[in-house]
Order: sequence, then C-alpha cells, then structure tokens
Amino acid sequence: MLGKLDWSAIPFDQPIPLIAGAVVLVGILAVLAWVVVKGHLPYLWHEWITSVDHKRIGVMYILLASVMLLRGGSDAIMMRIQQAVAYQSQGYLPPEHYNQIFSAHGTIMIFFVAMPFVIGLMNLIVPLQLGVRDVAFPTLNSVGFWLTATGALLVNLSLVIGEFARTGWLAFPPLSELSYSPGVGVDYYAWSLQISGVGTLVAGINLVTTVLKLRTKGMNYLRMPMFCWTTLASNLLIVAAFPILTATLAMLLLDRYLGFHFFTNEAGGNVMMFMNLIWAWGHPEVYILVLPAFGIFSEVVSTFSGKALFGYRSMVLATMAICVISFMVWLHHFFTMGAGPDVNAIFGIASMIIAIPTGVKIYNWLFTMYGGRIRFETPMLWSIGFMVTFIIGGLTGVLVAVPPADFILHNSMFLVAHFHNVIIGGVLFGAFAGFEYWFPKAFGFRLDERWGKLAFWFTFLGFYVTFIPLYVAGMLGMTRRMQHYDVAAWRPWMLVAAAGMAVLTIGVICQIVQLVVSIRNREALRDRTGDPWDGRSLEWATSSPPPVFNFAFNPDVRGEDAYWDMKARAQQQSLEHGGPEYQDIEMPRNSPTGFVCAFFATIMGFALIWHIWWMVILGGIGAFATFVVFAWRDHDEYVIPAEEVAAIDRVNLEERRSLVSMAGTV
Amino acid sequence: MSDQTHMPAGHDLAPGDEEQHSVGTRILGYVVGLVLALLLTATSFFIAGTDLVWQPSIPVALIVLAIAQMGVHLVFFLHITTGPDNTNNVLALAFGLLVVFLVVGGTVWIMAHLNANMPAMDQIMTMRR
Repeated sequence: MLGKLDWSAIPFDQPIPLIAGAVVLVGILAVLAWVVVKGHLPYLWHEWITSVDHKRIGVMYILLASVMLLRGGSDAIMMRIQQAVAYQSQGYLPPEHYNQIFSAHGTIMIFFVAMPFVIGLMNLIVPLQLGVRDVAFPTLNSVGFWLTATGALLVNLSLVIGEFARTGWLAFPPLSELSYSPGVGVDYYAWSLQISGVGTLVAGINLVTTVLKLRTKGMNYLRMPMFCWTTLASNLLIVAAFPILTATLAMLLLDRYLGFHFFTNEAGGNVMMFMNLIWAWGHPEVYILVLPAFGIFSEVVSTFSGKALFGYRSMVLATMAICVISFMVWLHHFFTMGAGPDVNAIFGIASMIIAIPTGVKIYNWLFTMYGGRIRFETPMLWSIGFMVTFIIGGLTGVLVAVPPADFILHNSMFLVAHFHNVIIGGVLFGAFAGFEYWFPKAFGFRLDERWGKLAFWFTFLGFYVTFIPLYVAGMLGMTRRMQHYDVAAWRPWMLVAAAGMAVLTIGVICQIVQLVVSIRNREALRDRTGDPWDGRSLEWATSSPPPVFNFAFNPDVRGEDAYWDMKARAQQQSLEHGGPEYQDIEMPRNSPTGFVCAFFATIMGFALIWHIWWMVILGGIGAFATFVVFAWRDHDEYVIPAEEVAAIDRVNLEERRSLVSMAGTV
Repeated sequence: MSDQTHMPAGHDLAPGDEEQHSVGTRILGYVVGLVLALLLTATSFFIAGTDLVWQPSIPVALIVLAIAQMGVHLVFFLHITTGPDNTNNVLALAFGLLVVFLVVGGTVWIMAHLNANMPAMDQIMTMRR
C-alpha cells in the first residue's frame, strides 16, 4: 500500500535532523496559523500563490532562494564545525550523516539557492528593462516557479522522512547505483532535480522568448541593457543544457528502478559516461549562474559610476562568446578520468580561452568606473567586492585548467576553495548586489544602508577567512569531503576556516537585520519617484513598486541607456502624454494552474521515491487534468480600464515630473 | 542580428504563426510534408532489406535518408524558412545544431580516448615480471 514507506523511515535515533525538522515544522505551522487567523489567506491566494505577474513570481523565487540559503548555510556551518573538531576523532557527525550533509549542501546551494535567485531577479527585472508588461508566457512562468518549489520541498522532506543522498551533489555512479545506495536518498535527489529541472527549463524557454519577441518600440538588440543580454545568454544555455541533465538523471533512474545498466559496474554499464554527460550539463550550468550576475554588475557599476557602460558592444560579444565556449570545456572537471594528453590539452586550452571574454568584462567594468563619479552604496560595494574576489577565483581556475596541475589538485580542498571563490564571489555577491539594487523597485522602499554595508563587510571578510585556509589545506594535500582526518598540519587551517564561517554567519545575520530594520523604517526609506539610484534603464521609468501593468504607455526607446536618455531630454513618454490618451490595458488573469500542478507533482515525486505506485498514477492524472483544464479555459485576460490606469499613473507622474525638472537643471 | 536594427521589435513571427496563407495552402503543405516523410521512411526500410544499394554503403544511405527526413520535418512541420521573419528560428536551429555537435562529438571523442593512459597488454605482462 505504501511501498517502501514505514515508520523506520523517520530517523528517531538521530536528534539533529529530527530537531531541525521539528523546528522548521513548528515555524511553518506558526506562519500558516498566523496567516489564517489574521485572515491573510485570501490575499495570499489571490495576490501571490495564483499570481502570474512576473514581478510577484520573481519575488517568490527570491524568497524561496533566501530560505534555502539559510538551509544550505546551516549545512555549511555543520560541515565547518565537523572538520574543525574531527581531528583524530569522529567529530559529532557520524559519516552517513556527514555525507548527506555535504550532498544536500551542494544540491541545495546550486539548484535551490543560486538558480532561483538569478531566475527570480531575471523574472523581476527583464520585462521592466525591455519596457513590456509581462513575460511571454505568464502562466507557464508560475508553473515553473511552483515546480522549482516542489523540488526544494522534496529535498527538505528527506530531512525527516527517509534520508538524502550520500553521494555528493552530482550523485556519481557506481556509488549512486542501487547496489551501493539501496536507500531512498538518491531517489530523493534525482526526482527533486527532475521536477525542478522541468521548472527551470520552462523558465528558460519563457525568458528566451521574452527577450527575443517582446521588446518595446525601438528596443532593438543593441539597445538592450546588459542584464537582458546576459539573461538571453544564460537562458539559451538553460534551454540547451538542462535536457542533458534530465536525460542523464533519467538514465540513472532507469538503472535504479527498472534494472537498466547505463552506469552500473556490471553488464556493460559505463560510469565514465555519467561523468561525461553530467558535466556536459554541469559546466554550462556555472555560466547559467554567473552570466546573469555579470549582467547585474554591469547595471550596478554603470549606474553608481554615473556613466554609460564602457565597451557595451564588446560586453555583448564577450557574453555571447562565453555562451558558446561554455559548451567546449566540460572535460576539465574530469581530466584525471583517463582521457589522453590530446583530449586533456584541447579542453585545458579551451578552459583558459573562456577566461578571456571574462577578462574583457572585468576591464570593461574597471573602465566604466574610471573617471566616473562613483557612489559607494551597498550594491556598488558588492560589485567591487565581486571584482576583487572573482579575479582570485578566476586565476585559481586558470591554474586548475592546466591538466598537470589538476592531477595534483583534483578533488582537493584547493578545488573546493576555487569553486566557492567563483560561486560565492561571483553568483552570490551578484545576487546580493541585485537584491540591494532592485529591492526598492520591487517593494517601493530602500534597504537600510548601514546594515547593508555591515552585511557586506562581514560577508566579504568572512569569505576570505573561510576559504583562503581551504586553499592552503588543499595545497597541503587535504582532499574534499573528509569526515575526519589525522594530519596535524591541516588542523589550524580548519580552525581558521571555522572562525571565518562565524564571521560569514554574522554577515548573514546583518542581512536579516537589514531587512527587518528597513521594513520598520519603510516610510522614511520610501522611494516615491521610482528612480532611487538615478538609474539608466527602463525599470526605473515606472513607479516603485511598478503597477501590475508596468508601464501606462509602452516606452519609446531611442538609444542605449533608455531612461537616462529620456531624463536627459526630459521628454519621457509619460510626461509628453498628459491624461486623455490613457487606454484600456489587457492583462493575463491569475491562475492556480502552477500551484495545483506543483501540488500533484509533489505527490507524484514523493510516491515515486517511495515506490507507491497507485499514488504515482494519481499524481500524474491530477497534473495532466490541471493542464487540460487550463488549456480549455475561456477567459485568459482581464481589462484594466483607462481611468484606473490614469489614476495609478498620475500619482507617480507628479513625483517624476519634479525629479525630471530637477535633473534638467543639473 | 544587426539587420534587426531597423525593424520594430516583436515584428517577426513565432513558428506556426504564418497567418498570411489560406487554410488550403497550409493543409497542402502538411500533406506534402507527410507524404515526403512517409516516402523517406519507407525507403529506409526498403533499401535495408534489398541489394538495390551496394551492401557496405547501406549505413551511409540510411544516414543520408535520415538527414533528408530532418530537413522535411524542419521545412514542412516546423516552418523553418530563410525568410527575413525567420532569423530567430534559423539562429536557434544553428545554436541547437552547434550544441548537439559539440556534446555528441565531444562525447564520442572523449569516450574513445579514455584508455589513453593505460599501458598496452604486453607492457603490463612485462611489468609484472
């Protein structure tokens, strides 16, 4: 009846996951109770859960990423403490638990923190920057988000029901095959990634279509803000690479569920094929994450330097070059697998070549700052912190791209330090820069500067104190994923790294405090004009938060840096047009399709993990029925009457007029 | 992409959006595509079993027919044309082909070289002493 599921699935003997799970459960129940008692449930349902508004979905993506960042961060803290204490002892985490933690940490940080964070920012901002009212497929957007949430839910469910994979974040066979991992851990891993992978692919298709098909009048390709270009490149990579992940995990699942032999040790399976395929997805994946971050830095650096982006066209070219070359380097993740010197040399050289367009970008940002009137506000601090940190990470990357060096450093702590250096220094700093930069746009008030700066400095310093020692430990021969060790020379570095983790944690706490303080002081921090940073692109041409239709009039773009141009000429379109020309606006209706679909996907995923076949069929039928109901809908749009548009727009227009007249005097 | 500069954004059509043709013309297009696709499929099965084609070249013939089949699908069913309104679709196709070529070609190449660091069997024998 319930497949493999019984009471033994709940780890009563392990206090840590059980207590953590109980705390989270109590937290969720408390929030739910509060929502219901206060009567917020209808609001939540109508305005957020069923929303197909790209801004709302973007915010929900970022919220999901932030919560998962805390989960993944807790895993990181536990690992650092374990390695600090487990010198000539077993530490406090038994091996099977420690292995689950490092697997969950990697899986969560990449798939449920970095991905939703950048996809959320792209969702939130790209339609605004393009001057359009929504993404190409609004309901599909909602489906994509909720499927990602399903994946995150399943991963976290493994904390209290069953176990998570003990195989590392990419579940390499043969360890992940049934003969070595008979439990449900790998199934949790694979099904949550399959389901959230569908969500990511859908988001990718949506954003590619949005950038290619929905641009406002005059917004041709070479006038698009840099963030739109990196979004295009990143989502092209999603569309091209995620099917590889899905196919690879499908093969692994066939091995585990139906006795296939794609990656098994016996019967002609080939584990090397798994490494090859997973990294053919895995390397483009890191560029999927970091390209949007590059876009964010381009926007931030140019805005806070008060200058147009230096070398816009070379930046576009570099972005598209990275997009293509990222598909030519994946072997550098397994130089040591046995490919000959020819293969290793070619992929090593390709890996070094991809550093060139990245270097071009760094120089462009530096030259953008050169001669600019730089304002060192929080987003700019994150951007400068990124440049310094990412260069170090990039250089160690070029070092491990040299095959002979990689043979020594492969799977060492040096490698761990390297990829944290580029992912934290690149993606996470970028996400935080984007968060600080676009928060006023999303919510209508700025974030507190003082706490923001504190958060930056603690995170920045904490990062170095944590990860530079890992470089050293790697050089001293320490391999990754060690539950305990007996080498005295590594111990001090592990202690320093643990101290660094404490500093990083303070940084995270500052970020939370910043949010709380800003919400409390929101009236003082209110952004009335919609343009708090003296911005250059179209998202600043509407109010903060933008009305549901984004722009009362589709902006008319006449050059790069569209909004800067409008301000300079003080003839922003909504200023030219007075009142009478307001028109009715048609917007897509909200739809519970995404949420219901993900609900059934969750049931189906859970049932697949536990081999509860009747429930799998039930979930499948439910998800398909949801699709059918949506496909046969009668009304998919509603009309906002012109008077309402006018009423909403006029409020902001007054504020903006005064701003533009002030800017005109400068 | 640069030739889009003077074109208003959102001008080009999504696949299947060609509204300028009448229904009859479109049905004719699909019928021609279907007949061609069936013909190519039938031919593949047919030549595999006969000696109409020089036996050793049958794999090559099948590959040629398969590529022709892809072309038929692209033109008649996915409506990839060389018209100016189709730049995005052609570029997407080119990018897709490039990625498939890189991944499949790269995989074949990598997997064929995995034993490069393994000594030949007779060397292993002499090593053992």
